[in-house]
Amino acid sequence: MIPSDHFVRFYNEVFKFLDKQSGDGLSKYWLAVSKLQENFCLENFQKDGLRGMYDYWNHIRIEENCDMTLKLNEDFLELIMHKCPSLSKVQDNDAEPCAKYCEHCVGWIGPIISKCNYYMVCDIHGRNVPTCHSWIFFEKIKAEQKKAELNNSDNTIFSNF
Amino acid sequence: MRYKDRGEVHKDFHAATNMTIDYIVDNFGEDALAMLFRKMATDVYKSIHDKLKKGDASELIEHLKYYLDREKGEYEISENNGTIICEISKCPAVEHIIKSGLTLSPHFCRQTIEVNAGLCEGTPWKTKTELLGCGKCRQVFKLENQQ
Repeated sequence: MIPSDHFVRFYNEVFKFLDKQSGDGLSKYWLAVSKLQENFCLENFQKDGLRGMYDYWNHIRIEENCDMTLKLNEDFLELIMHKCPSLSKVQDNDAEPCAKYCEHCVGWIGPIISKCNYYMVCDIHGRNVPTCHSWIFFEKIKAEQKKAELNNSDNTIFSNF
Repeated sequence: MRYKDRGEVHKDFHAATNMTIDYIVDNFGEDALAMLFRKMATDVYKSIHDKLKKGDASELIEHLKYYLDREKGEYEISENNGTIICEISKCPAVEHIIKSGLTLSPHFCRQTIEVNAGLCEGTPWKTKTELLGCGKCRQVFKLENQQ
């Protein structure tokens, strides 16, 4: 058994393997992960919107030992990751981290957020830095404004639109 | 021990492993899956592998006990004259997949078989994992030239 605590290090090996294959192997895999994860969150996201997302990530915050602040606002949700346990473990690793590791988050959660008609913007700060800041908006125009604001910085920005 | 996690345990990661196993087999074949697990064994678990090369199984035993305890597995480990037997009577990973209502991959236990094989590659240890039914197995590690 690979301990659940070590899954992300296995995940990292899978990413490196897929990234070496031709085509968009990583994106296809993240879509498959997204389909699995729908079992755990899609219904609550669709039913309860931002509140359902807040509840899901609050559960994850505890169970995955995340140093993360969640802020539920009237029309958007903010996730401020002070220390990502996933990237931290991949870096505390005798195997080499995948350079695209951080992309998996938007890679799997993005399609679920899209299915719920919400818009996500994520500033990963840097690929070797275990912090990030994400916003999930109901209104696309507000997400676009946030993305435009962030694009003026040197940071690496991902979104589901 | 190189890795020693504390805090909450997020067992849903076993579901992600289960899905990933099927994904790799369906798209790249069983050899690719075996290669990934063996690479995990030699690269991620380099510290255990390096000790096994020197004949030292102490970190392997500590790792097995620590994580099986942490995930509340049911098992017995015995060590006698260069033979280590880890007998799992309730695998916490298999149990979690079934409890979650997911379909257990027919290749799920390859993670144990191949990681163990990878750990012993290039070392004086031989390993064999016998699957004894759902969530049950016997993992044997034997130091070569020992009776």
